[in-house]
Amino acid sequence: MPNPSPRSHLYRLGGLLVIGLIGFLAVKALATPSSWNHEDWYRGDSPKEIAALPLSYGGNESCQGCHKKTHDQVEAFGHKGLSCESCHGAVVDHAGDGKKIADAKVDMESNWQCMNCHEDQITKPKFFPTFKPTKTHEDVDADMLCSTCHEAHNPGL
Amino acid sequence: MEKQKWNLEPDSRREFLANLVSGAATATVLMVVGPGASADHGVGGHSKKHRDLVYVINVNNCIGCGNCVRACKRENSVPSEYFRTWVERYVITKKGIYVDSPKGAIEGFKKINAAIRSESQLARTIPKMCNHCDNSPCIQVCPVGATYRTDDGFVLVDHEHCVGCAYCVQACPYGARFINPEKKKADKCTWCYHRVKAGKLPACVTVCPNKARMFGNLHDPDSEVAKVFKEDRWMTLRPEMHTHPYCFYVGLPREVR
Ligand code: HEC
Ligand code: HEC
Ligand code: HEC
Ligand code: HEC
Repeated sequence: MPNPSPRSHLYRLGGLLVIGLIGFLAVKALATPSSWNHEDWYRGDSPKEIAALPLSYGGNESCQGCHKKTHDQVEAFGHKGLSCESCHGAVVDHAGDGKKIADAKVDMESNWQCMNCHEDQITKPKFFPTFKPTKTHEDVDADMLCSTCHEAHNPGL
Repeated sequence: MEKQKWNLEPDSRREFLANLVSGAATATVLMVVGPGASADHGVGGHSKKHRDLVYVINVNNCIGCGNCVRACKRENSVPSEYFRTWVERYVITKKGIYVDSPKGAIEGFKKINAAIRSESQLARTIPKMCNHCDNSPCIQVCPVGATYRTDDGFVLVDHEHCVGCAYCVQACPYGARFINPEKKKADKCTWCYHRVKAGKLPACVTVCPNKARMFGNLHDPDSEVAKVFKEDRWMTLRPEMHTHPYCFYVGLPREVR
């Protein structure tokens, strides 16, 4: 029997390394998503998927088509620039495919909504109109709605 | 005889000490100022890419109503108890700084108790969210490339690729990230990428009643945000972290962290 080569352990090691490298490259090729962006290191399809998510809020322009008169009224008075959806909820919960699908939120039972914005707190901006304990406001409590005197769409008096 | 390098003759010892002091001074200056800080201290920071879109928060206008928090929750189906944006109340008194954010201010704030109120020197509500930094620690630590910056500057999370290891949650100096308990993936504000791509404003900006939140193109001279930069009175959160945030604050009290 001829003597084994004195370097056979090195050949074996080299062979193992080559097999390992091929295995590594194969796993890497399979595990890397096909749209991978090698320059910035992310899956190229990901931003497209995120951009395709559905929208819930439409902005005031989304109410204009069906409520033009009301919309323009609100825009003419003290609450102009407010988001309709901040009081009435997201448009997708109320209208879709050109139809009304559910009632819009209207808070007529409590003063929570008004006070959420107008309560007199130390953190409020200097020129923001707050609910002050004036003479007219003396009797206002949980049983007396702000809407007794103020209109939500035209709050000034 | 030629002078040896470190021979501590009285003369060269003085020289050595002088060198030591000036070297230490240079190192300190470098550490404090940061290399290259002089070149890019303005708007626009690290990334090689051109960025137009910025988010501006005018603290002086915030009324603390929490409409932004509610809208974000609805728009992005954020699980309860978790927030992609939230509002903090800072009350600065002589005795210390009082900070709270009950349930992320999703229902706004209740009146603060009279003891703190009577001590108040400055009180503000501060909206917080992901800063979409130009030098984001979260992107640097992600081991799988699941969080990244788009060409137009949005820092996003790829939920399909994320392994939920939460390194990014740890890395964010603003606490803007969390592990979504339903998806078991990292989650955070996207500046409403899907809305902006559809030509709308982010949900929080849409519902803000008092123009505390603004979003737009910094390089469009007619935009609301461009005016803020013209006046040059903005601040960012934690500038010492060198993250180069793209959320800019106007009227931020220096106590806010
Ligand atoms: C401050 C909160 C608030 C805002 C902002 C607001 N609304 Fe209203 N809205 C109410 C309340 C409260 C009512 C019910 C009481 C009433 O009729 O005045 C109402 C009623 C309505 C109604 C049914 C009655 C009617 O007048 O036709 C419509 C439609 C409506 N709102 C649309 C809008 C639109 C469109 C906008 C945005 C331009 C808007 N609202 C903004 C609070 C608000
Ligand atoms: C596709 C059309 C459509 C759109 C878009 C639409 N609405 Fe309506 N809305 C209706 C109809 C129909 C009614 C019921 C009849 C009426 O009072 O005009 C209604 C009623 C309402 C009411 C009264 C309460 C109720 O549900 O009956 C409010 C408040 C309201 N809408 C608010 C809004 C707001 C705010 C928007 C924008 C975010 C909006 N709507 C968008 C069709 C629409
Ligand atoms: C989403 C926040 C928000 C809600 C909810 C809200 N308001 Fe307002 N309100 C405002 C803003 C913003 C202004 C304008 C402030 C300014 O001009 O600086 C305003 C202005 C006012 C004014 C002064 C109007 C004027 O013409 O000077 C009154 C009064 C008022 N609101 C009452 C109410 C009442 C009553 C309600 C409940 C139906 C209500 N607001 C709900 C944000 C709100
Ligand atoms: C009894 C009628 C009445 C009721 C109810 C009422 N208000 Fe008023 N409110 C007034 C009058 C009148 C004024 C004008 C200033 C004054 O005399 O106080 C006013 C002024 C205001 C102002 C300041 C407007 C400005 O331009 O500075 C705000 C804000 C306000 N009210 C909010 C509310 C809120 C919120 C509620 C419900 C919690 C409410 N009001 C309930 C009568 C009323």
